[in-house]
Amino acid sequence: MSSSDIFGVMDRRTLLALGGFAAAAAIIGPAGATDLYGPKGSGAKSGGTLNMGLLVEPPGLDPFHQAADARIRLTVLIYQGLFYESPDGTAMPLLAEGFDLSSDRLVYTIRLRKGVKFHTGQPMTAKDVAYSYNYIRDAKNGSPGAGDFAMITAIEAVDDATVKITISAPNAALPMTLGNKYGGVVPAGYFDAADAKTKLNQASVGTGPFKLSEFKPNSNATLVRNPDYWEPGVPYLDRINFVFVPNAASLLVGLRNKRIDIATLSRPQDVKQVEGVAGLVIERKPSFNQKAIDLGAELKPLDDERVRRAIALAVDKDEIMRASIGGLGNTIGTMVAGMQESWGAPLDKLPNQKVDIAAAKKLLAEAGHPDGFELTLTSIIGYDWMDAAAVTLREQLAKIGIKLAIQRVELGVWVKNFQSKQMGFTFNDWATVPDPNLLFYRHFHKAPEGADFRNWKNDAASALLDEGRVESDPAKRREIYIRYQQAMAESVPTIMLFSADHVVVRADKVKNYDQHPTGWYYGLARAWIA
Amino acid sequence: MLGLVLLAFVLVVVAFPGLFTGHSPLTVNVDKALEAPSSAHLFGTDDVGRDVLARVVHGARITLSICASALVLAAVIGGALGLFSGFVGGRIDMLLGRLVDVILSFPPIIFGVMVTGILGPKTLNLVFALTVVYVPLFFRIARSGAMSEAGMTYVEAARSLGLSQSRILLRHVVRNVLPIVLVQCMVLFPLVLQIQAALGFLGLGVQPPTPDWGAILQQGKDYILLAPWMSAFPGLAILITALALTLVGRGLQRRMDRR
Amino acid sequence: MPFWRGCSRRQGLKDAESMGAYIVKRLAALVVTALLTSVVVFLLVRSVPGDVVGQMLGQTSDPVAAKALREFFGLDQPVWQQYLGWLGRVITGDFGTSWTRGQPVLGMVGSALAVTVQLAFATLLLATLIGVPLGILAAIYEGRMLDRLIQCFNLLGLAAPVFWIGLMLLFGVSTGFDWSPPLMYVPPSEALGENLSIMALPVLSLALLQAAAYSQFVRQNIVSALGQDYVRTAIAKGLPVRSIFFTHLLRNIAIPLVTFMGLILIQILGGAVIIESLFALPGLGRLLLSSIETRDYPVLQAGLLVVVVIAMLVNLVVDLSYRIIDPRVQLS
Repeated sequence: MSSSDIFGVMDRRTLLALGGFAAAAAIIGPAGATDLYGPKGSGAKSGGTLNMGLLVEPPGLDPFHQAADARIRLTVLIYQGLFYESPDGTAMPLLAEGFDLSSDRLVYTIRLRKGVKFHTGQPMTAKDVAYSYNYIRDAKNGSPGAGDFAMITAIEAVDDATVKITISAPNAALPMTLGNKYGGVVPAGYFDAADAKTKLNQASVGTGPFKLSEFKPNSNATLVRNPDYWEPGVPYLDRINFVFVPNAASLLVGLRNKRIDIATLSRPQDVKQVEGVAGLVIERKPSFNQKAIDLGAELKPLDDERVRRAIALAVDKDEIMRASIGGLGNTIGTMVAGMQESWGAPLDKLPNQKVDIAAAKKLLAEAGHPDGFELTLTSIIGYDWMDAAAVTLREQLAKIGIKLAIQRVELGVWVKNFQSKQMGFTFNDWATVPDPNLLFYRHFHKAPEGADFRNWKNDAASALLDEGRVESDPAKRREIYIRYQQAMAESVPTIMLFSADHVVVRADKVKNYDQHPTGWYYGLARAWIA
Repeated sequence: MLGLVLLAFVLVVVAFPGLFTGHSPLTVNVDKALEAPSSAHLFGTDDVGRDVLARVVHGARITLSICASALVLAAVIGGALGLFSGFVGGRIDMLLGRLVDVILSFPPIIFGVMVTGILGPKTLNLVFALTVVYVPLFFRIARSGAMSEAGMTYVEAARSLGLSQSRILLRHVVRNVLPIVLVQCMVLFPLVLQIQAALGFLGLGVQPPTPDWGAILQQGKDYILLAPWMSAFPGLAILITALALTLVGRGLQRRMDRR
Repeated sequence: MPFWRGCSRRQGLKDAESMGAYIVKRLAALVVTALLTSVVVFLLVRSVPGDVVGQMLGQTSDPVAAKALREFFGLDQPVWQQYLGWLGRVITGDFGTSWTRGQPVLGMVGSALAVTVQLAFATLLLATLIGVPLGILAAIYEGRMLDRLIQCFNLLGLAAPVFWIGLMLLFGVSTGFDWSPPLMYVPPSEALGENLSIMALPVLSLALLQAAAYSQFVRQNIVSALGQDYVRTAIAKGLPVRSIFFTHLLRNIAIPLVTFMGLILIQILGGAVIIESLFALPGLGRLLLSSIETRDYPVLQAGLLVVVVIAMLVNLVVDLSYRIIDPRVQLS
């Protein structure tokens, strides 16, 4: 099924209801980008086992309660939501077929794809869809996704193939929110069993192209082809072994000696170590991730905007990028590289982007720190890029008199500080789905609507985020988010440094793997082995 | 003899790192990252362009002082507890013995990971974690020493002379157990060095940018195919130091055994 | 005095009858220590900041969701209550289910233990095969060239960090022979050949150190035994060297050797974390490390308890084997 087929089953009204969104995407998006999961291979062969090396082991495979990106990368192949996050920023129908939007833009009537079966063999109906989304949006069920669904007031099954979703205020990002980051459609009543939560790590109940076969800690997760999958003819692979290799040295050696067929490298510069090895193909793809410096306003003197601006003016993003990922990425302003074209503010329209030591020193003096001050930077153990970035940043800040101490903490400790809004001055590494509302709202809107992890407490910026969420006209929406980004660049709650490219290294027998900019492994639903 | 020469060399490196390199161990130069060993950089450069020789040489003082202070602390605490336990005997001895059993059967690296997690990533906490790991060994040595000494005639004699318990303990037993403990320190040093480097290898060592052998190895391991010098040289430094200490420790032991 | 001699514990045993009593006594002590360990472990793992819920929710945390999940895992209860509940279940043999894997904890610890035990015994075997002959050779040729060479090997083996040897082996083998071990672990029962090629490098990295320790140890003991009166007498009596060697010397070094083996075994059980992660082996050390990372308390508690209990059992077996090797030994 090609892209035209998918849109073919939608009527005109649906296309319009999708907002100018789809139309805008058609202009921005590269050719063929509207294919679900990427283009289908020509001359594809079915069968075979693919071994993929993973540096980061998913801490669990439960899409409802586990937020880790390492989990999402895999489970998008197992579980499916109503829409697919197309790389160009459109929400493409996945388990949905299309939808109607009421004139007040508050009621979505979603028609479901027919002939979809769960891994358990039972057919999917509207009841299952309503159950799954009702489960995830109720925060009492403990899903990290609950916050994204807070504006939904009701989800009901109208008939077997139709679901009605009512929201409290217009929300241009709703279809994208019904994507694959959290949750997915599972059989109604699945979570009634007491052990259902932990059981998702052993047996899958999704509708995706692959089923979970085994998940062995510190060893591997194995997926097998779902024979009842609803898209005809795909996936091509019989079996995927995700092999957990806990360090880059062994992963690279394994790639070199063909112990694994494919891997994406978390530090793109590792690619130099396998360049020129016969039989290996290396590909670079833009990404939706960002490596950032967060400035928690709870830590003095970061509560002073002038100090934050001074720090931003002293940071040479390009040097940090060269030091930490060998330059294999793009420095960014206030938008991840993969979305810069569609949603980013032009860099020349953003303040505090160019290094200006004199201006920074002046700001510090105004803020009462003419001789600088001492500051502790937190970095996370195991995030290799942070080590090189930290020592580079230390030298840069020394130029304006800030004496930087570096403390590396374990991820669990870091997350605890983050969640309790005590992050201080820290590196961060996170990714987004391609919508500005989903990128910014939860992180930067003031409490209680947003989580405002950095204690930014910025009313003007929060108002813009509210505006952007409601606006459905893409051009106006873009304008609002550009104003938001300017406010963010001016006040500096965070310094987005760069987006690291996804670097895929594969054996040349692995064909048609297209790395999705989120970093998720959608491409495996289309890959095949020659 | 070789041991003494090597040890002297290591000590000179610790005392005067400036003699061996003119480079700073901290200066970042991104444009000179991952350069192979050359006359300008004898051990090559690391991923942010720092001189590896400078880092190894300046790292000696940090790595070795962490190990040494952990050992001394462990010897003092473990030794004192052991003497006390062995001399007092009874319930206290049993309880302490069990506690030491628990610590001793704990995997040291896992223990280090938890302790540095609980206390935070400070150098002092690293020392503490290493100390706790080695307290049991000194406890046992001192305890068995105290128990055998307690049965010796001179202690009995001292006791019958009416000297108080604590004075007996201090004067006689310590004097006889101390040399054993000292030699143990030398013998154990290479082991502590290994565990310290292992913790650094897991990212739990000294905080960057401070050079530390384990931490340098940890950074280097990911560049093993591209820049093997980043991991080869700090490893060799550990090897040479451990060698020197083993040789000297063994010499001391032999001298003691003869006595 | 080498440090391991200080570690051997011998307790009262007058005749064969009290052997049973001795074992019972030791086992009772073991239970007490295990209980003590469980308390220490329980408190320790809960003192590390952050918990499984924080890890699960990550950067999208929501207070209501966090509260709900904490209740689900029982983390909202007071620690002593959590401990008693856990202890009660453990006594009935129920170690629970992993919070992050959904598998029974016992099975997870068991299969990880199997990998590490294989690693430990293979290392022990290889180290014995290399170390003991080297030690005997060195003792026989004491002071001569061969002895010197072997001593060199011993010193280097003891001084080099194990993970560094592993890293250099991996680098050398990969660039020199274009070969590296498979990365997905297979148990020996499934495919022995594949399993051996996975285990070869990690075992070699660990065994070099242990072989050096062995050889050093055996040499020292034989050399000192050769100086003992009874050996001198035997030689003076004109007994053949071979018979002296087997009747007197080997028996004499057997006891310290067994202690030594036990110590190595314990060391590898909990201490092979880094070799396991370097070579992607799903062993016990790595399981412990990853369950610290995910704050998977049930797995962490069971895993640490198993390590400690095994260490104590090994010590017991070592002490008992003294008597089997040499009935004259009084376990006092």
